[in-house]
Amino acid sequence: MNAPTDRDLILRARRGDADAYGEIVTQHQTGVFNVCYRILHNRNDAEDLAQETFMRAYNRLNTFDIEREFAPWIKRVAANLCLNHIESQKIILELDDERDEDKSQNPSGQVEVKERSEQIRQALASLPANYRLVVELRHYQEMSYDEIANELKIPLSDVKSHLFRARKLLAEKLYAPD
Amino acid sequence: MHLTDEQLNEYLDNETNQREQIELHLNSCNECSIRFSDLQNLFLELDSLPDLQLTRNLSTRFITSGQLIPHLPRWLTLTIFAQAALALIALIISIPFITTYTPQIDFNSFKSPFFEIQSLWNTWLDSLSTLQLPTIPELPIPIIEMSSLLISLAGVFVIWIFGNGLLLRNQIRR
Repeated sequence: MNAPTDRDLILRARRGDADAYGEIVTQHQTGVFNVCYRILHNRNDAEDLAQETFMRAYNRLNTFDIEREFAPWIKRVAANLCLNHIESQKIILELDDERDEDKSQNPSGQVEVKERSEQIRQALASLPANYRLVVELRHYQEMSYDEIANELKIPLSDVKSHLFRARKLLAEKLYAPD
Repeated sequence: MHLTDEQLNEYLDNETNQREQIELHLNSCNECSIRFSDLQNLFLELDSLPDLQLTRNLSTRFITSGQLIPHLPRWLTLTIFAQAALALIALIISIPFITTYTPQIDFNSFKSPFFEIQSLWNTWLDSLSTLQLPTIPELPIPIIEMSSLLISLAGVFVIWIFGNGLLLRNQIRR
């Protein structure tokens, strides 16, 4: 028997089927958590916001167009939630100790990859929040400049300048000679 | 003249319509080619950043909740809102008519039907008072003490709370 598709699960969840929604959460939780983590750079906050994302998404499940893919939609919900979180908290984001602890990888064979990933995450974490958000939407959610401008309600010129400056800063941190 | 950072970024983002000119320049300019290569490398590194794993399963909260609150169909929600909006509009429209016509209504004309109804009611009460019913044997009425009454009320209250708990148990706890 074929595994149920997102569409089937969403239709069942709309009728109040908790198991169906639980299955959706299981399938998308890692992606959503990573969106939150890349923006917030704090594991606890990212996990809390990921949970909150799925709560909000359930309340707005009726507004979701069933013919479209669920993953990009839920990731945008997560990104927006993180943006609101940053704006409301005005927090100074701190790197946490668990950063980049990828339990799925074999430590002996992946040390270099882990170290490089760690450097990239640190470089991302050092960016201003609005730059980080634009990088998230462009690189990880593959949105166009126009879509980002609409999503963040900022001018197209700001999207470009944030993105280009962010990349410049990242390049300086990642490729600067020691 | 060299390519700008903006041109290189837009090229890699597929957001430019000058692709051919940029490619032509990159083929002939070593400096721009190196800058392009660096930026391309950054793109690759960012895009290949591995996912981190969660330390807890977020779905547990939903699965253990048993049943979620089902969503009303969109058409039903819209119908309810449309009805409410129409009722409000009708009320607003009717306000001038009410203020115009209310003083013109002769409330005395309502008196005679009212008196007729009252008379019928009295007649019915009279006939009811003369009705003979078979005598019912007297039942002993238990004397209820205040403490028993309070205990009963407390019991009903507990059952009420428990019942509400059962009804609301499937809602998502935030």
